[in-house]
Parts: sequence; structure tokens; C-alpha cells
Amino acid sequence: MNKRVQYELIWLIAVIAILALSALANYNYTVSSSKEIAQPYNGDPAGVVINVTGYQWGWQFQYPNGTITTDKLVLMANVTYTLIVTSKDVIHDLYIPQFGVQVYAVYDHTNEVSFTPLVPGTYIMECVEYCGEYHYEMRGEVVVL
Amino acid sequence: MIFSFELAIFGSTISVLIIMFLLLYFYAQDYRKYLLEVNHEEILDRGQENAVLSNMKRELSFAAFFMDDSKSIGIRYIITSLLFFFIAGLAGIGMRISLWNPNPTFLTPIQYNVLLTEHGTLMLYGWATGSILGLGYYLLPSMLKIKKDKLGHLNSAMFWFYFIGGVLLIFSRSTASWYFYYPLTDQLTEAGGGTYSFAALAGVLLILTAANVASIVFLKMIFLDRDKSIRLSKLPLFAWSIVSTALLILSSAPVSMVADVMLIYDLINPIFFTGSNGTALGYAILFWFWGHPIVYVAVIPAFGLIYELLPKYANTKVYSYKSGVVGLLLLMILSGTVWGHHLFNSGLGTIWDLIFSTTSFLVAIPSAITVFNWIATLWTGKIRLTVPMLFILNAIVDFVIGGVTGVMQADVGINELIHGTYWVTAHFHFILLGMTTGMAFAAIYALFPTLSGGRRYNVAMAKAHFYLTALGTYVMTVPWALGGFQGMPRRVAGYFGIFQSYQDAAAIGGIILGIGQLVFLINLVYSSTKPISVSNENILESEVVYGE
Repeated sequence: MNKRVQYELIWLIAVIAILALSALANYNYTVSSSKEIAQPYNGDPAGVVINVTGYQWGWQFQYPNGTITTDKLVLMANVTYTLIVTSKDVIHDLYIPQFGVQVYAVYDHTNEVSFTPLVPGTYIMECVEYCGEYHYEMRGEVVVL
Repeated sequence: MIFSFELAIFGSTISVLIIMFLLLYFYAQDYRKYLLEVNHEEILDRGQENAVLSNMKRELSFAAFFMDDSKSIGIRYIITSLLFFFIAGLAGIGMRISLWNPNPTFLTPIQYNVLLTEHGTLMLYGWATGSILGLGYYLLPSMLKIKKDKLGHLNSAMFWFYFIGGVLLIFSRSTASWYFYYPLTDQLTEAGGGTYSFAALAGVLLILTAANVASIVFLKMIFLDRDKSIRLSKLPLFAWSIVSTALLILSSAPVSMVADVMLIYDLINPIFFTGSNGTALGYAILFWFWGHPIVYVAVIPAFGLIYELLPKYANTKVYSYKSGVVGLLLLMILSGTVWGHHLFNSGLGTIWDLIFSTTSFLVAIPSAITVFNWIATLWTGKIRLTVPMLFILNAIVDFVIGGVTGVMQADVGINELIHGTYWVTAHFHFILLGMTTGMAFAAIYALFPTLSGGRRYNVAMAKAHFYLTALGTYVMTVPWALGGFQGMPRRVAGYFGIFQSYQDAAAIGGIILGIGQLVFLINLVYSSTKPISVSNENILESEVVYGE
């Protein structure tokens, strides 16, 4: 075999090996924590259910006891929550950076995502899908008690 | 709309640029008539007119704007795309300055959103697409030794489609961002998608029509019109990159055009993306079917240019011709299958997430083949650090950084953390600034003697342009990446105070970048006034020696 082709094969195999490992890790995560990835609501939520509605320009959270908060999400540590997310108008995207939670809010379509906050404190929450004039003010805080 | 100082500044700057351009056209008409030595009323026979015009020197003269031959169409595209680049860059710098403080002070949110949309649409459709079509029209006929292109009139008309499309994008004052996502675009208010958002959609449609026609013409040039002495196995790699790009445009742009027409239809009779038989995500899916391939459309020709220019400045031959071709074509095939990674968190479901993340990992393979091919070429060569070579080396480094930060996003778990943040903005600015824009600059510098009819660019200014551009890119994008990883959202007119240090650093980077482009503009004007001093030979016409 030609020396040049040998070199090419070496780097090709190295790249494929690295990518295969990454893809495997990705497969492992996606399958084992599918509840923590946004997916269409299937009627079988885990833990405490919070209904989330995005609108231009704010977030509304409805807790199981009927309480409603705006731009502020209050949670208890070590409790599993399921957010059921929809939108009143355009496409929004609820994002809590520190929890790695991200889910689209789409009109006429419901998504769900589950997570368990562990450390009490105050965190930030944002809309990361561009949604018009006051998109940047569509943000708030997440308080974990 | 309430009158405001900032709007007046930006509006007038943009209007002045357009008026300048129209004035130049006016003088160009006059200049052309002077050259033809005819009165305004006299009508020339078309063939006679072209014969006179083709005897003229091909310099940066605006007389070229009325000719039908492929070279002059190429020059038109290159200059117009540069114009759009400067306008979009101005919008970008306006946004950076406005983001200096956590709360918008310099621009109101609506003005910010107008600039956001303008920057995105003009950079992608005006600059990236336009410069690629221009280089294709300019380089392909001479590389492939084509005697005559019979579709000259069509190409000339398509240039005007492209130009009018760009102007519509500027003046529509759309605030829908370059995604034009469904419910937002059809909210025809200042606070929603912009009162005249449909004009921007019409602009996109015109530009995509021009891109589609150009793709067909390129494929015709390469496969039907090329000189019989050039065998398919000896086709220049730039031509292969254009084959790849053209097929990508033809296979995915029509999908986006259909979606844009559906959006316009939904303004009057909403049936496609709402109600019982449609969903707002339907538009997002149709859009990303083209929205992802367009970024490959923007980089693949830049790969082709590197393959052409690198051996010339490294005094060697391309390490492997075959793997170059395989890399370019594989990139085209795989990039058509990855668009779903833009919608991981929209509720595609675990299975689709897995499919799209796996194909996104796969697309790194042809990119890696290509990059290693360049590195091997550099390894075997003797490098001359000319200005185009500096841009090439920077493009390779930036592409590696942009590629690695990009492939990380293919991971579903990491994607949940960084989707919609400045991390993504940093990733694609590394590639679009370093690779697409950098290679367009490299090509313009390399072709400058040809484009300007035998003049030389000022090397000191060109080097200053390079160093400012490279430095500005890093100073702007590295803070974006760092802030993005902590959750700094993109496309916002204001932000949480905790991200201010990242935004301020990026603003400084943006200003450095802007000064660099100003040096470039001054250099172009200054050098065009110099006397003719070198031969106007096109260095990209001479043959490149390829390896195996």
C-alpha cells in the first residue's frame, strides 16, 4: 500500500474512533435520560406537574394547587418536577441554564420535560427563541427552597 | 414610529450607501456611452455593443454592470456582495455598541431587532451567497476553458434579482430574524415580525431564485460546456466544490422557497402552519431543511478556494486529489441529513434526536478529511506568508475551532445547555468569519491585479486588515463562547447584568473588526487609483498540480 494512502487511513480511523466514542456517549445519555429531554407530552408525567405557558412577553407557571406565578418559578429541592409547556402565540423556548433544562413552547402543541433540582438557591431563567420586541425581557428567576 | 436620533443615523448611513451606489451606476452609464462614442439616443446592435465592450479592459469599472459575459457578471456579484457585507457589518457593530450596557440605551429593542434581522439575512443571502456566486461566475469559465456561455442574458437578469432582493431585505425593516419562524413573521406589527416583513420574504425568494439559476448554470458549465481536454478526473477542486454547492442549493433551497410562499399565503388565509391540519413547527422543519445546508453552501466553495490557493503559496501540490473530491462530495450528501439538530428541544422525540445527532457526528468526518488534507499539503510544502496565505492559515485554524465547538453541539445533552445561547453564535462566527469571509478576502487579494486591470494592493494596509480581522474575530467570539456556556442568550437587546463583562469584551472585538474592514475599504479605493504596474494575469487560471 502507498505511504500516502496509509497516512490518510490513519487519520481517518482516528477521527472515526473519536466520533464513534462521542456518538456512543450521546446514545447512552439520550436513551437513559429521555425524560430529561424535551418531547411531546404523552399523558404520563413524572412527579409534580407544573403547567407553563409562554406568551409575548412573559412566562406563566401554574402549580398543582392552582397558584399562578409570572416570570418566577418556585421549586423544592430533591423533588422531581415535570414542566408541561405550551405557548399562547409565537414560538418561545424556556431555558434554565444551571439545570440544563430547555424546552420549546409552541402554540397548539404541548411539550414536556422532567428534572430534579438538588441545590437550594436562586437561578436564572430565559426565553432563548427570538419572539419579538421584548424578547430580551422574557426572563425571570428560579427559586429552589 | 417615533422619530429617534439613532434611527436617523442608521437610516441615513444605509440610504447614503444605496444612493452612492445608484450614483455610481448613473456615472457608469455615462462612462460606457463615452467609451462607445455614441449619443444617448442612438441604439446599438447588441452584438456590436458587446464587441466594443469586450475590447475594454476588465477593471473595476461600472461599465461591467451592463455586460452579459460571465466574467463581468462575476465582478458585479463580488462588488454587490461586498456592499451588502459593509451594510450588514455596520448593523453588527451597531448591535455590539448597543449591548455595552445590560439595558438597551443606544438602540431601542425594535431598532436592535431590525439590525439583527438585517445582519443575519444580508450576511447569509447577500454576502455569503453573493460572493460565492460571484467567484463561481468569475473563475469557472477560465478554469474550464469555456468558449461561450449561451445563457449570459439570463445570468445578467438573475444578478438583478439578487440585487433587488438584497435591497428589499434592507428596506423591509423586518424584525422576524433570518429564521422567519411562523407565527412571528405573520404578526405584521413593529413589535412582532415587522410591518413589511413580507417584503423581506420576497427578497429572500428573489435571491434564492438567482442562486438556483446560477447553480444550474454552474452545473451546465462544468459538465456540458467545459473544454474536452479537461477530463472529469482532472477537474479543478474548486469546480468540484461548486458541483457540491450547486447540488446542495438545488436540492434544498426550493423547499425553503415553498415555505416562504406558504408564509405569505398564510397572511391572508392561514391554513398551512396553524389550525387542525398544521403546526407552527411545520415551518421550522421546512426552514431548517434549507437553513442548515446554506451554511455548507457558504463554506464548501471556501474549501475549494483553499485547495486552489494553498498549493500556490506553499509551492507544492495538493496532498491528495481523490480524498479532496471525496471530502467535498461527502460533505454535500451528509449535510443534507443533519438539519434536525436545530430542533432538538422542540419535541422531535428521542428517536429523531438520536438520528440527527448521529448524522451530525458523521458530518465531521469529511470535514476532518479536508482539514488533514490541507495540513498534509502545508507539511510537504514551503510556505510563503503572503496576504492571501495569512487569510488561508487563519481560515484553517478558525475552521478547526468552529468545527470542534460545532460537533460538541451535536450531543443532545450538551445541546440542552447551549442551544439558543451565544455559544452557537461564537461557533458559526468562527466559521463564517474565519472561513467564508476570510477566504473571500483571500480570493479578492489574490485576484486583485486581475480585477483591477493590473494594479497592486497596498501590502501594509492589507496586512493590517488581516491582523485586525483575525484579532477582532477572537476578541469577539471567545467571550461569546465563554458566556454562552453559562447561559448568555443570543438575539437579545438586553441581558442579565452578570453577563456584562463578556458582552463588553465582545463589543471591543466587534469594533476592532469594524476598523479592520474600514482599512480594507480604504485599501480598495486607494489601490484602484494607482497606475497600472503589474500584469493582470489571473493566478487562479494557471493550472494547479494535484497529488494522487
